[in-house]
Amino acid sequence: MLPLPPESRKVSPFFVFYLIVAAQFGLGVFSFQRYIVKAVGNDAWIAVIIAGLSIHIVLWMIYQILNKGTNDITVIHKELFGKGLGGLLSLALIVYLLTLAVSVFRSYIELIQVWIFPQLETWYMALILSSLVYVYVIGGFRVVVGICFLSFILTTPIFFIMLEFPLRHVHFSHLLPILDHTAVEFLSASKKMAYSLTGFETLFFFYPFIKNAPSSQKWVHYGAAFSTFSYLVIMIVSLMYFTKAQLLESIWPTLTIWKIADFPFLERFEFMGLSLWLFNALNSVCIFIWAGTRGLKQLFTVKQKHSLIFVIIMTAVVAVLLKNREQIEQLNTVMGLVSLYVIYAYIPFLFFYQMIKSKMRRTS
Amino acid sequence: MPKNDSAFQRSELAKLLTACGESADFLTFSLYENSPFFIAYFKTLVKPEIIHHDILPIVKEEFSTLEEIKEKLLIEDLSITDNIPDIQDKLMTGNLIFYTKEGQPACLAVPAPAVEKRQVATPETEYSVVGPKEAFVESLDTNLNLVRKRLPIPELQVKELMVGKLSKTRIAVVYVKGIADSDNVNTVIQRIQGIEYDEIADSSFLSQMITDNKNSPFPQLVDTERPDRLAALLAEGKVAIFSDGSPTAISGPVSLITFFTAFEDYLSIWNVASAFRLLRLIAVLFSVLATSTYVAILTYHYEMIPRDVLSLLITSRGSIPFPPFLEAVLLELAIELLWEAGARLPTKIGQTIGIVGGIVLGTAAVQAGLTSNVLLIVVATGALASFTTPIYQLSNVIRLIRFPFILLAQLLGLVGVAVCFAFLMSHLLKLTSLGRPFLEPIYPLRVKDFKDSIIRLPFSKQALRPLQIRAKDRVRFQQEAPQKKEWDIDD
Repeated sequence: MLPLPPESRKVSPFFVFYLIVAAQFGLGVFSFQRYIVKAVGNDAWIAVIIAGLSIHIVLWMIYQILNKGTNDITVIHKELFGKGLGGLLSLALIVYLLTLAVSVFRSYIELIQVWIFPQLETWYMALILSSLVYVYVIGGFRVVVGICFLSFILTTPIFFIMLEFPLRHVHFSHLLPILDHTAVEFLSASKKMAYSLTGFETLFFFYPFIKNAPSSQKWVHYGAAFSTFSYLVIMIVSLMYFTKAQLLESIWPTLTIWKIADFPFLERFEFMGLSLWLFNALNSVCIFIWAGTRGLKQLFTVKQKHSLIFVIIMTAVVAVLLKNREQIEQLNTVMGLVSLYVIYAYIPFLFFYQMIKSKMRRTS
Repeated sequence: MPKNDSAFQRSELAKLLTACGESADFLTFSLYENSPFFIAYFKTLVKPEIIHHDILPIVKEEFSTLEEIKEKLLIEDLSITDNIPDIQDKLMTGNLIFYTKEGQPACLAVPAPAVEKRQVATPETEYSVVGPKEAFVESLDTNLNLVRKRLPIPELQVKELMVGKLSKTRIAVVYVKGIADSDNVNTVIQRIQGIEYDEIADSSFLSQMITDNKNSPFPQLVDTERPDRLAALLAEGKVAIFSDGSPTAISGPVSLITFFTAFEDYLSIWNVASAFRLLRLIAVLFSVLATSTYVAILTYHYEMIPRDVLSLLITSRGSIPFPPFLEAVLLELAIELLWEAGARLPTKIGQTIGIVGGIVLGTAAVQAGLTSNVLLIVVATGALASFTTPIYQLSNVIRLIRFPFILLAQLLGLVGVAVCFAFLMSHLLKLTSLGRPFLEPIYPLRVKDFKDSIIRLPFSKQALRPLQIRAKDRVRFQQEAPQKKEWDIDD
């Protein structure tokens, strides 16, 4: 069994709240509306709730798995499946998280390119972002938690304050009729929503870094509830502000909403908002890369500071190779599908497998 | 072979005396004809009054041994020693030595130091309108006296250390036993003992040598010249370090918020104090971000400017030949020049510099069309805002970090400002002060420590000492049990 991290590297249980919010509440808030509205139209907000609730069940399962394993996922995999297969599964999970990091990384650069600097070279921004990721992740887990926390207090108040402007022009009738779609439609919409709420799988890696980890479970649920609530609010506001046709047309409805803000000293708030959302993109990338490199360290006993450099270079290179909107969209679609399997198939499987295995051990 | 041995000893002492004798201010003479005893001292280090009134009249009589002289002299701290380094130290710290040239290896050292010190004066860098007006001076003993007067308890402990191969500076580590965390005390003592340097001129030398991150522009130990402030810090459980010859004491562990704290905050009502503390925080944020935001918005995001403001900016900037970046850097540099030129000049000339630089140059630059009025206002307000920090060291940092912000604003607009802010935050998140997190209570979040950070709650709410310092005894005073009876109107 690999040694657990020292006490001085651990964080208090309530910081898990910010970690979960950081992983879930990211760039998704700008663009998630379209996919869900496509499936269930004006009932999209119900799909958000369904997906949010299902995430809580998955989170509960994750905690059951981790509380029994009392270590991170690489150790649990090894115990359950042996060194070979377990290692392979861990590696797959690491690659999955690192790909999520690439997806966020590239999506943020794309947002900057589309909304602020059309001529911005991808490699230039990738260089700056990757050096930022480096200085944070090299500081260790506590610094990564720090950026999650700072990003929370910098961005979430702004997110909610900015809702005040569209609320002046909403039409409640857009929400009617409620529950006008079939169960299958709701299910497919919730599937789309789940991708926005993904990222909490990092819990599998940072669980040993939490003081008195089992007690942190309630904070995880609060965090997931907070993210779901934020998605829900922006979804309802977008549904009421835009018509269905408009929502299906626009890729980033939230940013369009930000455009209408008019302070006496400031207009076009999306420039400032997108700049601030750097923190929100950064914290997701930092957790994903931290979790990925931590996993690599556990698997191959490679120094994390070395694998970090390699992983960041790879992230930046892949991000630069993704040239246009279609490729980014393609990556997001694939990742959406993969994350669906990870959340709803792999984690329940792991949960039941561990349960059966421990029962069998007790009876034999 | 006692004779050879003593001869050896004698020659060592003789060497020392010859070495000292090469300086013009070293005196050595015998008391009278055929006296077995000789006196040696540095006349620049001793007080003539002591020699003429307390020593020479008594040793005029005939003595046969050093012990006899020692018994006759009415001066404390006399010592007889034959240890040459000891003798050298005594000589260098204002002692007279009596020695004989006949066989006896020992010397009698009589302390008669001349202590030159400044009167205790009013604080200059941490001036406050109300409250005590004492400031530390260059003498370590006076400074310790000022602190002891404010904390007259035996638990106030002083550990003295000696640092500096040449300067032999006396360093005092002061803390309140039972309140200060012994880890903090040990860290400080260990780090001071580990210092290898020849000359320690000031406590800021120490501060730089014992901080956690030596490359950080941010001060990680607070320095103060106010005994009242230092006493408050000690009572909170912090460790203080004095250095002889330095009118400032340093103290730690601290957090960033400490540098926004003026001692005056504790002298005014809590809500007023909190308002001013918040004002200072906002001022510093403004000072750091204002110019770079101006550059970013005017270079890239002119869409963000509302129409009415835009017309104002066009009138102001219409004829300026430079891009906003160049304009801002020129003006910022001008302000830096003004600051740097005025920093070390006497007050009278400093005022002239201010008038010439600030008023004449500023007006002329705008009239000549080199800079816009708006930017002049932004930069000047930013400079003014950076002066609001109560601790001088921090305002230097704020001056400095403005420039990377402006540069990145030019490269990437508001995104650049955010990138620079993220870099700054990554640095601050990693920073520690004596091993304690520097951004506390914001991160790690400790809601209880907010009672004396960006706001200051009334004294009745300050029953517990802050968590950051890890004070051994967290209880400042016992809180009264809350009254059970619920109040009502006109009861």
